[in-house]
Amino acid sequence: MSERSQVMPAPEGEYFEPARFSGLSLLLAGGAVVGLILCLFGALKDQPQFSFSWLFAFIYFFTLCCGCLFWTIVHHATDAEWSVVVRRQLENIALLLFALFLFAMPILILRHHLFEWMNIPPGKDAVLDSKRQYLNWSFFVFRAFLYFILLGGVAFLLRRFSVAQDRDGNPRCTVWMRKIAFAGLPIFGLALSFAAFDWLMGLNFRWYSTMWGPYIFAGAAGSSMSLLVLVTTALRKAGYLRVVTLEHYHIMGKWMLAFSVFWAYIGFSQYMLYWYANIPEETQYFLVRNTESWWPLSMLLVIGRFFGPFAILLLQGIKKRPNQLCIVAGWILFMQALDMYIIVLPSLHGTGVHLSVWDFLLIGKTSTFPVRDPRLVESLRLRN
Amino acid sequence: MMRTPSGHKVYAIAAEYGSATELYEAAKRVRDAGFKRWDVFSPFPIHGMDEAMGLGKSWLSAVVLIGGITGLLTAVLVEFGPSWGLYPVIVHGKPFNWQTVPAFFPIMFELTVLFAAFSAFFAWQIMNGLPRWHHPLFNWDRFSRVTNDGFFLAIEARDPRFSETETHDLLVVTGGMHITIVHEED
Repeated sequence: MSERSQVMPAPEGEYFEPARFSGLSLLLAGGAVVGLILCLFGALKDQPQFSFSWLFAFIYFFTLCCGCLFWTIVHHATDAEWSVVVRRQLENIALLLFALFLFAMPILILRHHLFEWMNIPPGKDAVLDSKRQYLNWSFFVFRAFLYFILLGGVAFLLRRFSVAQDRDGNPRCTVWMRKIAFAGLPIFGLALSFAAFDWLMGLNFRWYSTMWGPYIFAGAAGSSMSLLVLVTTALRKAGYLRVVTLEHYHIMGKWMLAFSVFWAYIGFSQYMLYWYANIPEETQYFLVRNTESWWPLSMLLVIGRFFGPFAILLLQGIKKRPNQLCIVAGWILFMQALDMYIIVLPSLHGTGVHLSVWDFLLIGKTSTFPVRDPRLVESLRLRN
Repeated sequence: MMRTPSGHKVYAIAAEYGSATELYEAAKRVRDAGFKRWDVFSPFPIHGMDEAMGLGKSWLSAVVLIGGITGLLTAVLVEFGPSWGLYPVIVHGKPFNWQTVPAFFPIMFELTVLFAAFSAFFAWQIMNGLPRWHHPLFNWDRFSRVTNDGFFLAIEARDPRFSETETHDLLVVTGGMHITIVHEED
């Protein structure tokens, strides 16, 4: 129980004027078209490489969108106050799950390059046969659609009631959003975990990790909070979201710190048990990633995703300076990309890093959407 | 030394306020009047009160940081010391040079947290003047409302700007009710 004594007037609603940024939108859309064309060339030139690059880019943005959905859900489930002013950005990014649904289609088309288990007929591999109940094509497709319907449905409903409340200020919407959020919590946890099982752990059907769901979630939540910092700052630079104060930045910085620690905690818990038990079918994941030219990247991930941000974000001053916090946020987003890269790509290049130009083209293409979309900075009504 | 008519030492002048907002506004005026030895009391935390009181950043975090680093170094010492130099033992076929560090991380983490938590707890006790059996403010019977619905402000007599009349007037101006002099035990 607490009370804010400062009486604040409810700010006027503000609206993003797409016309002001038509140049930027056009530029990003143009970049997206060029990226798509280049992707098409890539797909024709080197299909296996293209498949993994596409999966890498897709997973990267999928985790970001899911992370934003998570923060929206948590906002409603905990009846949070501080995040009201930035919630619309989270809702917008989470809604991009529908766009990502389209980008998931190439994965289903290129499945034979990605998922080895789809190419092995029954009866050839005893390990695989014992997992056929789960790893079969029709169930795989069914699950893929289910994830998008469930996650997208929660994102859509939360945003719909939120926008509806902007229009009429109906307090019932808050109650409805809270109910959806509570239903959304288990949906989100299960859908994200099983999506991570299907699309990432399934790259090597002999390997398994019980920490996989939380690991992907930890990276998603931390990096999407970083994305929120960047989007908020960009909008403030453009003259919007003046209601966001340094206090909000402080809280967002705290969350970045918390999820840097949580990511390290989960990642290390997974690593240490494998290291201790030393069972071949478990250690194969880290054997590939911690040897040869993957080793420096793994070390960079450990230091860059945890030790660096942890030490920097401990300082209170950094969290209250938007420009410096943005640098850290950008770095965390880069590290999240590296994390997904290390997860996806070694399945293709068993030994040695092959930096493929296609990987980076895909990032350029898909990133247009989260940047372009926060177009509806509508009412930022501070409730109680 | 100021004394009450009954011969007790004066601890503070205290006032009650009707709401958290009134207390918040009063705190700002007492801060601007330049008082240093004073405090506010409410049944629940009031956002922004530290700023309204002009408290600045607490030094608790520095103590916690030092405690955490001490814990980390302690763990490094007691783990690497024996396994690296004093008494190397092969456990689970793992090496006993620096490469065995994954096994040591949990202890490093635990001791960092433990030392940081202990230093936070004890530093916080010291900063709050705890533990103590009694507080002079409890000599004022109205003050028992502080855990229910009372909002109080007390300016201590040891503040250099304290004066029995002017401080009283300041509390009147800020809207304080039931302004009273609180006495020490003896």
